[in-house]
Amino acid sequence: MNTTAQMPDASAAPGGDGPAKPRRDPAGTGRGTPRRPRSPQWAAWGFLAPVVAYLGLFYAYPLYRNIDLSLRDYTVRSFVQGGAPFTGLGNYRTVFRDPTFAPALEHTVVFTAVSLLFQYAAGLALAVFFSQHFRLSTTLRALFLVPWLLPLIVSASTWSWMLNSDSGIVNSTLGWAGIGPVNWLTSPSWSLASVIIANIWIGIPFNLVLLHSGLQAIPATLYEAAALDGANAWQRFWKVTFPLLRPVSAVTLLLGLVYTLKVFDIIWIMTKGGPSDSSTTFATWSYRLGFGTLLPQFGPGAAVGNILVVIALAFGLVYIRAQRKQMSS
Amino acid sequence: MSRTTRRRIALSLAVVVAASTAAACGSSSSGGSSGSAGGSGTYTVWDPYPQFDGSSDWAKLLDSCGTRAGVKIKRTAFDTTDLTNKTLLAAQQGNPPDVLVVDNPVVSTLADAGVLTSTAENKIDTSQVEPNLLAAGQLGGKSYGIPIGANTLALYYNKDILKAAGVAPASITDWASLTAALAKVKAAGKKGITFSAIGTEEGSFQFLPWFWGAGAQLTDLASARAVSAVTLWKDWLKKGYAPNSVINNTQTTSWQEFATGQYAFAENGTWQLANAKKAGFGYGTIAIPAASGGTAPAPTGGEFVTVPTQKDTGRYSTSDAIVSCLTDAKNLLATDTTLSYVAPTTAVQDQQVAADPALKVWVQAVHAAKGRTSDNLGTKYPKISEQLWDAVQAALTGSKSPKDALSAAQSAAR
Amino acid sequence: MSAHSHVGTRPPAVVPRWTRKRQGRRTWWKTAVGLVLTAVMLFPVYWMINVSFTRDQDMRKSPPDLFPTHGTLHGYRLVLDQQLPYLGTSRAIGLGTVAVTVVLAAPAGFALAKLRPYAGGVVGFLMLAAQMIPGIIMAMGFYAIYLTLGFLQSVPGLIVADSTLAVPFAVLIFTAFMAGIPGELLQAARTDGAGTIRTFWSIVLPMSRNAIVTVSLFAFLWSWSDFVFASTLDGGGAHEPITLGIYHYIGNNNQEWNAIMATAVVASIPAALILVLAQRYVAAGVAAGAVKD
Repeated sequence: MNTTAQMPDASAAPGGDGPAKPRRDPAGTGRGTPRRPRSPQWAAWGFLAPVVAYLGLFYAYPLYRNIDLSLRDYTVRSFVQGGAPFTGLGNYRTVFRDPTFAPALEHTVVFTAVSLLFQYAAGLALAVFFSQHFRLSTTLRALFLVPWLLPLIVSASTWSWMLNSDSGIVNSTLGWAGIGPVNWLTSPSWSLASVIIANIWIGIPFNLVLLHSGLQAIPATLYEAAALDGANAWQRFWKVTFPLLRPVSAVTLLLGLVYTLKVFDIIWIMTKGGPSDSSTTFATWSYRLGFGTLLPQFGPGAAVGNILVVIALAFGLVYIRAQRKQMSS
Repeated sequence: MSRTTRRRIALSLAVVVAASTAAACGSSSSGGSSGSAGGSGTYTVWDPYPQFDGSSDWAKLLDSCGTRAGVKIKRTAFDTTDLTNKTLLAAQQGNPPDVLVVDNPVVSTLADAGVLTSTAENKIDTSQVEPNLLAAGQLGGKSYGIPIGANTLALYYNKDILKAAGVAPASITDWASLTAALAKVKAAGKKGITFSAIGTEEGSFQFLPWFWGAGAQLTDLASARAVSAVTLWKDWLKKGYAPNSVINNTQTTSWQEFATGQYAFAENGTWQLANAKKAGFGYGTIAIPAASGGTAPAPTGGEFVTVPTQKDTGRYSTSDAIVSCLTDAKNLLATDTTLSYVAPTTAVQDQQVAADPALKVWVQAVHAAKGRTSDNLGTKYPKISEQLWDAVQAALTGSKSPKDALSAAQSAAR
Repeated sequence: MSAHSHVGTRPPAVVPRWTRKRQGRRTWWKTAVGLVLTAVMLFPVYWMINVSFTRDQDMRKSPPDLFPTHGTLHGYRLVLDQQLPYLGTSRAIGLGTVAVTVVLAAPAGFALAKLRPYAGGVVGFLMLAAQMIPGIIMAMGFYAIYLTLGFLQSVPGLIVADSTLAVPFAVLIFTAFMAGIPGELLQAARTDGAGTIRTFWSIVLPMSRNAIVTVSLFAFLWSWSDFVFASTLDGGGAHEPITLGIYHYIGNNNQEWNAIMATAVVASIPAALILVLAQRYVAAGVAAGAVKD
């Protein structure tokens, strides 16, 4: 992930070229790297070794198991006793042909895209807002993290409580406003929207924290210079903050994507992916196949899970390529 | 137990099972500390009662049964969903518990996987148990455990509301009279009935009395009788006799709705009796009526005590002693009273009714009840059940007609 | 809009307090807006608290009560009787997870950002892949490994498992932040004769305070609210974290929702306090560090 690593330097460049002229161009250091003598590899790998060993120890086995599961025809019996026949891509074919595949794909895309967009936008707006210093700003920002202290089972159940068709607070509030009840969780046309709303709520603190840290890393001199040049707050945001925040934004969005793709507890607790698969994503489908019924279908469940991993990796590659391009340009 | 009630929760609990470790080749030897290998004088017991902590009667009973069998008991309680998964995983690793208390529809799945010993092997005496209850734990003509208690579903009603609406509970004998009663309740400004039609096993559990009450068979989901059962529920929703929230209700949620005192009826289980007494209004229970009169067969709920397969078959005799102790008449009475279950043997049932005449309805309901995996459905049941709850949900939300939904379910289930 | 003068000489990882001078009476409306936003955000949390006080018969009342007018302390009585010892366990697990995460991830971030190891890109990519593995699958893998090692129901075991929630994330974050540290600083240190380890310890780490705080915060929060690993790996153990306390109220047919919600409230209060205090400390610490330069 060298490319990632370099990203903050590279993209700081626009700031350096801009009107700000800080005494030292932070970008210069990034540019200078090729001239820097390479540290001995043993030192680099010495620092890296613990985490690589850790990855191998704790991630390789589960990942290997998941791949193995998806390539064999497991029954509950062969899961316990062994001897499941190797079936190659059979489970994947089963999954592709399943009538749930197309809707699940669509819901996964919508769920992920809409969640990401709103989480990021809200997180950024809040980060900018809270990085101004006013009374209670740090305390309030800290309070924004409270939703994270709750186990998902509790926060998702609370949402499900609030969105209940008959006794939920949301519908009674709408009722006072003269709007008829909405079947948030029980109507196929609303269930996906409901789980997206809850997921956005849960994702905002994450975006807020990361983007806020990113904002703090932007040198104040840049704002100062922009202000001297007569830029108003809006212009300062778009000309200084937003471009300089791009690297942090990229990491935030990528991580957000990875985490959103695998969200399943919220959806499962709120709607079970239903009614009639109307809020089923790949993550909940995988869970339902593997664990959601009395008779687990491990093979297809693992296959769906692996499809998700591949999707995330594809986005990871796109991200890395984009970074490379940005650097070389 | 109704099994699934907690599944929604459980889920987030995560579970685990399957997927990973699978391995066939996997490590089997018994090196572990948590399974049966914990020491020859220690026997492990897993149960799905996390609500009972170390100082509970249940835990004390286990300890005393261990002492009687001359061993120490190491008990671990898991959430139900978790328990099934962990059992599979532990069995795969060659380290299952000595005694496993597990939800009844899971028994045939575990037995099919070779995780459980049959009563022929482990010598547990099941002769006193009612055959319809025992059937839920049978596969291919063999029994794989002994029920520790049974529960089933009936209709709770709110006396005040029925009185105000002018409905006599005794007049409800079939679907038509029930629907008529709901209409009267609604006309009186109250809410009709609440149940659970959630998209899990819990939803199927609640739907089965109506499905079977219509005369439908699980082997033919698309029959006209099956369609009539789904149509009954759908019409209730359409006419406002049942709330829309039933589509996402667990049995606990449904009970909470009934407990508000705004609903005339609730379909719920034996285990709510204790809560019903706390509800603060007069309640009664009637059996769920079949379509054209009589009592509909409801599914049986409740756990089985089983003995998982061990490499060291010498352990079975001690396990048998523990199981026999847990299921002797005196202990059954105590346990089933705590759990609010009906005992699996007539002798103990009589004692229960003698102690609390209100249990009579429930004992009768248990007699009429039917195991979900009975009729030799065994491991075919889970697949059928999944399609069934899907179809019910599709019909209730209006995304498909009852007939289309059930036809689709039937073709997917075979 | 004057900023503190040190900024120009600082690496970018310093807080610009560029609005501080404007602070004062003119910002009261911002406080008001902040309060409203926070209130909206925390409404579901309030609702959870409301439910935790609600009597069984009012749980699904329609319309619901905005305040627990007929409140009950039933849930809290249960929780305070049964759950308090678990808070200490949760805290120990949270702090342990933070330590493991930072110790593993900070050097790796440094290596990836500044030392350009061979195959560093591959490691970074694996880091991404690692995060995609569903939690359940991870938990199952740990269960099998721990079962064989006899590590189940142990606090250190749970700490190691919980750290997998945070380590890949932490490496990415450290890498991104440390890449922003100017190369000349490191070169200067080298010229002064400092070895790689010393450079890391005395220059890179202190300058990465922000990243350390961010990472620690996430690691702590994730392990504090973790349920999956706890229930899989520590269920029935002698030292259980507070999230498992919820199990006491999940009967096999029934859930006691006021007690479940009360557990969540009790579990989140100490953590919320830590959070608020930590934020103040962090803000102060960063400012102090800035002045020192």
